[in-house]
Amino acid sequence: MTATSIKVEGITLHFPKQRNIFAIISDFFRKKERKFTALSNIDLEIKQGEVVGIIGRNGSGKSTLLRVISGIYPPNKGEVHAAGDISLLAGLGTGFSAHQTGRENALLYGSILGHSEKEMRAKLDEIIEFSELGSFIDEPLRTYSAGMKARLGLAVASAIKPNILLIDEVLGVGDPNFKEKSKKRILGMVKGASTVVIVSHSFGLMTDICDRVILLQKGKVVHDGAPQESIKKYYELEGGGK
Amino acid sequence: MGENEEASLVLRQIGVKSNSLLAPLHTLSEVRTNRFLVRNLVRREVRSRYRNAALGYAWTVLEPALLASVYWFLFIMLSGNPDKMYAVWVLIGVIVWGCFSKSLNAATNSLTGNVRTMHLVYFPRSIFPVSGVAANLVVSLMSCLVILPIIYIYDTPLTVHLLWIPIGVFMAGFMALSLGMMVAPLNCVQRDVQHLIRFVTRAGFFVSPVMWTAEMAIERGAWGQAALWNPMVLPITMVRHGLEGKLVELPLAVIASSILFTIMMYVIGTIVFSKYERGAVKYL
Repeated sequence: MTATSIKVEGITLHFPKQRNIFAIISDFFRKKERKFTALSNIDLEIKQGEVVGIIGRNGSGKSTLLRVISGIYPPNKGEVHAAGDISLLAGLGTGFSAHQTGRENALLYGSILGHSEKEMRAKLDEIIEFSELGSFIDEPLRTYSAGMKARLGLAVASAIKPNILLIDEVLGVGDPNFKEKSKKRILGMVKGASTVVIVSHSFGLMTDICDRVILLQKGKVVHDGAPQESIKKYYELEGGGK
Repeated sequence: MGENEEASLVLRQIGVKSNSLLAPLHTLSEVRTNRFLVRNLVRREVRSRYRNAALGYAWTVLEPALLASVYWFLFIMLSGNPDKMYAVWVLIGVIVWGCFSKSLNAATNSLTGNVRTMHLVYFPRSIFPVSGVAANLVVSLMSCLVILPIIYIYDTPLTVHLLWIPIGVFMAGFMALSLGMMVAPLNCVQRDVQHLIRFVTRAGFFVSPVMWTAEMAIERGAWGQAALWNPMVLPITMVRHGLEGKLVELPLAVIASSILFTIMMYVIGTIVFSKYERGAVKYL
């Protein structure tokens, strides 16, 4: 009944290793390539309307998978298909410039996230209001506290309504007051987007909002099922790993 | 859950490359579509370069002027008695060459210097070298304002040929962009490239008409004639002759080959860039 939103077919991704001149020469003669396999043969199908979580230990390939889906890394093998526009929410405030005002930074960050000038001008008032910066919005960013920057970043990033939303550990920024507000805002985005993939370590939240959770280990899918099950599996692996 | 109007969306493959051979045109359209982004990135770069400086943007003019006065002094010391416009020719050389060398370094380091951004958002990667070069173009064009007092002091004619000044500066930046796009992906793989390019920009200074002019080279016989084939001779001479109120005067073969070289470089640069930038990101 529901159409496919993201289809990942047999994705394998290697990272090459940096080499110095000696390594290059020796590799040349031994005919081998130094590489690190970050994802190996991953298949996934995510339907429209699904909220899918990805869990796994550090370095298991969670963020890399999101980056492949959003087009940042080209896979070595396999294909990714997606329906509609994709937005990756990671590292709020990418590209902020300390020497420009909050207003200018909002436009800058918005354009980095792929918005047109028209869209940004239309949303600017709402962004400023949500960021709770008041008159600080026309001060240079270097006068901001970390929390203020995070608020501005979230305000801009959450002004978008993509079809597919990929979230990489950006929940809960700012002071406790704003944390609640930001969580609500992101949950609002999750509801608004038709398909969501979340990478997070807060399992409580994952259980609450995800329909399905995928467990990654060393670049492979080891479990794909109901949130509770996957989290249980995670702890089993974690225990077994020690 | 959201079974709404989006149900009609069709699956498309992520990260499919358009044909590399179309890259020269494709790059132009990418810049056009992302012009708001380019403008913001350029503004960020220019603003941060002249931040917290009492003289601020005046440095765009001061820097080449100070440099030119040193070269002028050096030249008088070495050979003495240059013509009265010599100081102006050096200043123009410094501005146009500076545009090229700064743009080239900016384009070469544009991918390696934006790792964080590249890892967190996706937009066409050609935007990085383009905005790096565009920022330097803006600064160089501001430097060109120094031409206004020169016109007054040296009483040079006000003609349409003054338009060759921005065109020459643009040509230098465009050449830097092409070359920079060619090497930027390689720089991600092995950083040796940026060291090599820095050498090229330093050594290129001497074989380009910054401290000398095309006229001086022609007087010097065979070696001087050979020096004219350097593609930087055309843009620098174009600006100088523009100020004098005439069309650029160089052997036709030199002009034709420089223009052809510039176009070829752009075609090759954009093709190489589009072919390798995707893989190069994984090295960062």
